[in-house]
Amino acid sequence: VDLQWSDTPSISILSLVTKLPSGLVIASLDNYSPASRIGVFVKAGCRYESPDNQGVTHLLRLAANLTTKGASAFRICRGVEAVGGSLGVTSSRENMIYSVDCLRDHIDTVMEYLINVTTAPEFRPWEVSDLTSRVKMDRALAAQSPQMGVIEGLHGAAYKNTLSNSLYCPDYMVGHVDADHMHNFIQNNFTSARMALVGLGVDHDVLKQVGEQFLNIRSGMGTAGTKAQYRGGEVRVQNGSSLVHSAVVSEGAAVGTDEVMAFSVLQHVLGVGPHIKRGSNSTSKLIQGVAKATADPFDASAFNVNYSDSGLFGVYTISQSAAAGDVIKAAIGQVKAVASGVSEADLTRAKTQLKAEYLMSLESSEGLLDAMGSQALTRGAYHSPEVIAQMIDSVSATDVANAANKFVSGKKSMASSGNLVKTPFVDEI
Amino acid sequence: LGVLLLLYCSDCNCFSNCVLVSQILTANDLTLILASHTAATGRLLVGFRKWYYNAAGFNKIGLLRDDTIHEDGDVKEALRRLPEKVYNDRMFRLKRALDLSMKQAVLPKEQWTQYEEDVHYLEPYLEEVIRERKEVEEWSKK
Repeated sequence: VDLQWSDTPSISILSLVTKLPSGLVIASLDNYSPASRIGVFVKAGCRYESPDNQGVTHLLRLAANLTTKGASAFRICRGVEAVGGSLGVTSSRENMIYSVDCLRDHIDTVMEYLINVTTAPEFRPWEVSDLTSRVKMDRALAAQSPQMGVIEGLHGAAYKNTLSNSLYCPDYMVGHVDADHMHNFIQNNFTSARMALVGLGVDHDVLKQVGEQFLNIRSGMGTAGTKAQYRGGEVRVQNGSSLVHSAVVSEGAAVGTDEVMAFSVLQHVLGVGPHIKRGSNSTSKLIQGVAKATADPFDASAFNVNYSDSGLFGVYTISQSAAAGDVIKAAIGQVKAVASGVSEADLTRAKTQLKAEYLMSLESSEGLLDAMGSQALTRGAYHSPEVIAQMIDSVSATDVANAANKFVSGKKSMASSGNLVKTPFVDEI
Repeated sequence: LGVLLLLYCSDCNCFSNCVLVSQILTANDLTLILASHTAATGRLLVGFRKWYYNAAGFNKIGLLRDDTIHEDGDVKEALRRLPEKVYNDRMFRLKRALDLSMKQAVLPKEQWTQYEEDVHYLEPYLEEVIRERKEVEEWSKK
C-alpha cells in the first residue's frame, strides 16, 4: 500500500456548535485526548452588577465550592479530588466561566458537580459570611500589583456604568454582600439564553443531553444589560512608589465590528512586550521611540481590550517618576506617527505576530476552551483558526492608520499610580 | 383476669398506651382498637408529654427546650449557624433565666412557656451539622 501525503488533510477535527431552543449554546470539539475539559460560560460578569449589589461577582467567584442542593461543600471538594479532576471559576468584566477538567472516563462525576454549582447553589448564610476573609485576602493580593490598580482605575474612570464596575468587591461592601444578593444575581443573570456549555474531548451528544436536561432551569434573557457609556475621565493615585504606572486610552473597538482586527494589528505594530527574553525589543515601535526620550529603565506597551459593546485602546507605560511625562508623551507620539502611515514590513510583521499569538493561545486546553466559549457566547458560533487568520490578513495599512487616528482624536481616559509629581494630567498630553 | 396489651401505631410512630383486656381479642378487635388509636392514644401521649414538659420546669423561667440542650461540638456549630435574630432571642432568654435563678424566683404564671408555643429552632441546624459530620466520617473511612 502506497501512502501518499496530500495537501488537504483527510481527517479534520471539527468543532460542533448547536443552539438549543432555550437559547443555550453548546459547543464541543472532540480531539480524542485522554483528558477532557468542560466549561459553563455565563454572561454574568461584573458589568451586570447593579449599584446595590456591587461586589457580588467577586463573592460568586469565591463561592463555587460551597454547598449545593445535590452535594455538600465537603463532597464537592473530595468528589472532584477523588477522580483527579479540578473545578475552577474565572470571571471577567463580561463573563463568568466555571470549568472542570478530568480524565475522559470520569466526565459524568465532575459534570454532576459542575451542573450543581452553576444551577443549584444554596449559599448558606454562614458559608457566605465565612467568605469575607477570602475577599479581604483577594483584595490585598490585588493591591500588591500596581497594574491591577491602574487597570481597575482606568475602567472606573473611562466608563459611567457597567464596565466601570470593578472585578473586586469594593471596600464598603466587604462583609455586606449576603446570600440574598447572590441568589438574586443568579436568578437574574444565569439564564439559559446567556449561557454556553463548552466541552473539549467530550461527545457532542452527551453535552447536548446535559444541556437540555439540566441547564434549562432558568429560561429567558434575565435582566437586560445596559449599554456601556464611555465618558473619558482621569484617576490618579499618589503613593510612594518610585515607578509610575500609567495607562492612557481612548475608546476602541467592540467585539464583532470590522475594526476589531485593525486595532489588534495596530497593537502589535506598536508592541506588546518582549518576544525574546532579555532581548532588545527591536520590533516594538513604542519601546524604540521612548528609548530616545529617556535613558532610565522603562516599559511601554500597547493596551487593547474588546468588550461586547465597547473597547479600550491606548498605551500602558511604566517609568521612573522623574521621567514619567517624557515617557508618556513619547509613547503617544509613536501612536501619532503610526496614524500618519505604517510601512508594509511593519504591517506584515505585526500580522504574523498576532496570528502566532492567537494560535499559540489555542495550544493549551485552557486557551482553547476559553476561545471556544467566548466565541460561543458572543456570536453563537466558533470560527476556526484558519478563518481568524484570514480575517487578520485582510487588514490593510489604511485600517491600521484609521485605528491609530481614532485613538489620537478620541477623548482620552487616563489612570496613573506612583509618585505623580512629573506625570502630566490627561489634558496636558 | 386482665392482660395489658401494648400496641404499636405506625402513624404516629409510638406505642399505644396499655389496653386492659379481660377477654380473648380477635384480629378484628385489634384492628378496631388501632383504628381508633390515633385519636384516643394520640391524645394520651400528648397529654403525657405536656405533663412531662411542665414537670421539667424550665418553662417557668422562660426557656424553650432548645435553650437547655447540652453544648457539645455539634451544638456549638449549630448555634454558630443560627440567624442573628434567633441567636439574640436565645441569649435574652438565657440571661433572663440566669437572673431568675440567681434571685431564686420564677416568672409569673402567665409568662410561663406553653408546650404548644415551644419552637424547636435549633433542630434543623443540629440535624444538618450531624449529617455533615457523618458524611466526613464516611469519606474518611474510604
